[in-house]
Amino acid sequence: MSELTQDYLDRLDRVQPKNLPGDLDLFDEETATRGIRLNKAAYSLKDEAQRTLFLADEERWMEQFELTDEEKGLVRRRDWIGLWRNGLSIYVMVKLSGVTDTPLPEIGRQMRESGGK
Amino acid sequence: MARVIGGIGASHAPSMEHAYDAGDEVREAEEWQPLFGPFQEVAKWLEELEPDRLVVIYNDHMDEFFLNAYPTFALGVADTYPIADEGFGARPFPPLPGDAKFGWHIARSLVADEFDPTICQELEVDHGVISPLPMVDFAEGEGGWKIPIVPLAVNVILHPLPTPRRCWKLGQALRRAILSYPEDLGVVVVGTGGLSHQLTGPRFGAVQEEWDREFMRIMVEEPESLCDLTHEELILRGGTESVEVVNWLAMRGALPSNARPVVEAYYPHRIMGYGLQAYAVNGVTS
Repeated sequence: MSELTQDYLDRLDRVQPKNLPGDLDLFDEETATRGIRLNKAAYSLKDEAQRTLFLADEERWMEQFELTDEEKGLVRRRDWIGLWRNGLSIYVMVKLSGVTDTPLPEIGRQMRESGGK
Repeated sequence: MARVIGGIGASHAPSMEHAYDAGDEVREAEEWQPLFGPFQEVAKWLEELEPDRLVVIYNDHMDEFFLNAYPTFALGVADTYPIADEGFGARPFPPLPGDAKFGWHIARSLVADEFDPTICQELEVDHGVISPLPMVDFAEGEGGWKIPIVPLAVNVILHPLPTPRRCWKLGQALRRAILSYPEDLGVVVVGTGGLSHQLTGPRFGAVQEEWDREFMRIMVEEPESLCDLTHEELILRGGTESVEVVNWLAMRGALPSNARPVVEAYYPHRIMGYGLQAYAVNGVTS
């Protein structure tokens, strides 16, 4: 075990925030794993063809990404807090907010009322 | 040989793009003058400094890089950098000019220095680059970017992130890469992002003015002390998304320690603490 010096162990410990209060969050292993389907879906909206499909037929758009029924419900309801809690990165979320014409202050309002994770 | 002749730290945000794109009336209005006024001073300073290249340390916002393969550091080695479509259609700017040869040299030098960036022959840049850059480097009317860039992207999104100390050392390695380039180029290093902002959860919109001002002081006087902070400590001070300030730290690491700001501005507004610093080095001033 002597290879694992105290200096190394300290560095390993410091690289992952773990004592953040519940109202501050991270995009990390847990979030990225939970959110992979939603993130793939919303990331696709970088492409105009995907935005066109979304606007024409949202259900068909969603079928491309193996979303769970719960995730599809969150998209249909524009439940930004639910999407966030299910691992949708804020930076990918803005692509979904763009195509749904949702202003950032509306997402902000929901965030502030969310009570955290 | 190439020289580091200045540095710029600047926030980046879509809000800056909206204000810029709305034209002079909005840019010169009371709401945005506390930020756009100082940006004009930086543009003037840069025009007099006449740099040949800008190395822009920034972070992508899942517009070029995605979670399938997210690079910790990524370096552009292209002669042109198109504007990314972030989901709303790309902003109507021409692609930014690059310098592939200089980019490849930086790649070799970083690798020799045990930094191993993802090397990008194609790279679309998002608001991490092009929200601050038009304010200082775009000739409106003449329709063009003035200074070729080399973009260097840092992962500040998907934890684990490179540590503040690692980013400081990246800046130092970037400095060696610039100084060892055989062409006689004057280079300004730019770091974008921050300052405080919080985009998720019940603290949405929180701005930490006191910390932002302290951060800017530390950047000038004792930047290396920021290496001792963890991301957790940065987040507690400035918010989840404020960890972008490591891009400023990398920029500062590329400057000599006696570099001093010639333009400084801080403007807390709506959901952002906007910061701006332009550094003169080695007696090179405006």
